[in-house]
Amino acid sequence: MRIYLPLIRASYMVSLVYRFGFLFSILGNVIYLGVAYYLWRSIYQGRDVLNGLTFNETFLYVGLGSAIFILLKTYADWIIHFEIQQGTIATYLTKPLDFQLYSLFTNFGALLMNLSAIAIPTAIVMIFVFKVQVVYGIGLFLFPISFMFAFLISFSIDFFVGLISFYSESVWGVTATKDIIVTVLSGGLIPLQFFPEAMQKVLYWLPFQAVYHTPLMMITKADLGWQTFLPMLLLQIAWAVILLIGSRLFYNQAIKVIRISGG
Amino acid sequence: MSLIHIENLNKHFKVLNRREGLSGAFRDLFSGNYKTVEAVSGISFDIEAGEIVGYIGPNGAGKSTTIKMMTGILQPTSGVIEVNGLVPYYNRIRQAQTMGVVFGQRTQLWWDLPVIESFKILREIYKVDEKIFNQQMEMFNDLVGLKALHMQQVRTLSLGQRMLCDIAASFLHNPKVVFLDEPTIGLDISVKAKIRSLIKKLNTEHKTTIILTTHDLGDVEALCTRIIIIDKGKILYDGDIKKVNALFGAYRTLKLQVDNFNESTLQVLQEKMTSHFGTDKNFTVSQTEEFWTDITFDQALTPLSDVLNFVMKNFSVLDVRIVEISMENVVQKVYDGALG
Repeated sequence: MRIYLPLIRASYMVSLVYRFGFLFSILGNVIYLGVAYYLWRSIYQGRDVLNGLTFNETFLYVGLGSAIFILLKTYADWIIHFEIQQGTIATYLTKPLDFQLYSLFTNFGALLMNLSAIAIPTAIVMIFVFKVQVVYGIGLFLFPISFMFAFLISFSIDFFVGLISFYSESVWGVTATKDIIVTVLSGGLIPLQFFPEAMQKVLYWLPFQAVYHTPLMMITKADLGWQTFLPMLLLQIAWAVILLIGSRLFYNQAIKVIRISGG
Repeated sequence: MSLIHIENLNKHFKVLNRREGLSGAFRDLFSGNYKTVEAVSGISFDIEAGEIVGYIGPNGAGKSTTIKMMTGILQPTSGVIEVNGLVPYYNRIRQAQTMGVVFGQRTQLWWDLPVIESFKILREIYKVDEKIFNQQMEMFNDLVGLKALHMQQVRTLSLGQRMLCDIAASFLHNPKVVFLDEPTIGLDISVKAKIRSLIKKLNTEHKTTIILTTHDLGDVEALCTRIIIIDKGKILYDGDIKKVNALFGAYRTLKLQVDNFNESTLQVLQEKMTSHFGTDKNFTVSQTEEFWTDITFDQALTPLSDVLNFVMKNFSVLDVRIVEISMENVVQKVYDGALG
């Protein structure tokens, strides 16, 4: 495993090279926070609680949601797609590296970068500019753990979709569809509490909500306690394991049909 | 036992038969109409440790496919392939540890990072000892002055500098065998010479086996003692370079732009040349690009100056170029039985 650690450092450094991208992603997210604030303000007009969430909780959910959305967007699908199309995957396959772990650790480096570039500034702006009240509770401690599993799930989904380009040589349509499905069904765009009840029940068992909804609930409703969080966390871990193994099996199949362009 | 053992190796690809136009592209979405392309069919050879072997052939001959099978990226359709006693496809990661690869058109370095960072990352990936790493870096510096490039971002390097770094990187972990796929592609003569001397020195330093695929016969001439010529997936020639050298070493192609070029020019030229120099002098007159007439001849039989004089006297020539015989011509000559 140790040989994969420099990959984290490398991709962190690569993100740092593009200083302007770094600055603009902070700026972009601050603008988004402003828009979300006034949008939800007007939705809440005159009401204290909607679907069991106060304005403070909803704004915390949506604001942090956007930050986590950027953090967990691994782009593994696009990266694999381009590596296949341009044949650069050949250079990785000639290294003593496992391709899945290579992708995972490279993405993790970018995640750490986004954490410092987007998540921390967003949290600061939310607390000091929009005066969001932080809810204290057990959830805050569980959040980092839950977040790591959310990353593994998000990565596995993207990796899985990326592997499709081993067969189709193009993933544009599949990726676009996946992005919409994940964003909406995961509660990344609107809190899941705003969905119809029957749908909520179905969504609860799907892996998508484990990406955004679970870690976000641990922050916005941090005081809910063990009884609520433990099943959510276990479900999340189960999905992470299933998807990692699933994408592994798919990878083992896909690598057999590989056709590197030019040859 | 030989380092690389290949026996009756085949690789077939299934490729969709694409149709023309927009409607064709739509119908292709649901098409099950595949054709089989035999990229490599029935090749066999053995390579000993320490050899530099030139693996050459025209575009699409199956060179890169063979390399990709030797490096374990592609699985052969059938046949035996063993590198270092292991089957590459089933031991890809273990094998990669004893192997270096350079794909001339791609880089293994981190595009956005300074050169030295890539070397440091590779050091950790290949678990190269700190002391050995420093020795290697010293050696690279002595050979090509790598230190001057350490802090330069890879994407700002010139193609030649990048290739020197890429080749050095592929030798970092002291591999047993290094595959160089078109290492001099797109480079000018002086950089090519630098790259060739680097490869030569690295080969002698640790007796590293090198498989070199190239388009450039100059590379082969400068580096290899043995040459394998492949075309359409089959081996045409495998043996000493001297024989091949005699073949293409003396041949030159004189390219002419003649005034009033028309369909009969080639024929007239061929006839006049043969009647002047005699039928036994092996002239070939052909056309490979528009407005240019190619005369390929053997310098050992007819001096260049004679040919040039004759052409200048008899035709109104607008422009002249002299080129070394091309890979395609060598392959054609081998087909024609020139190597017996």
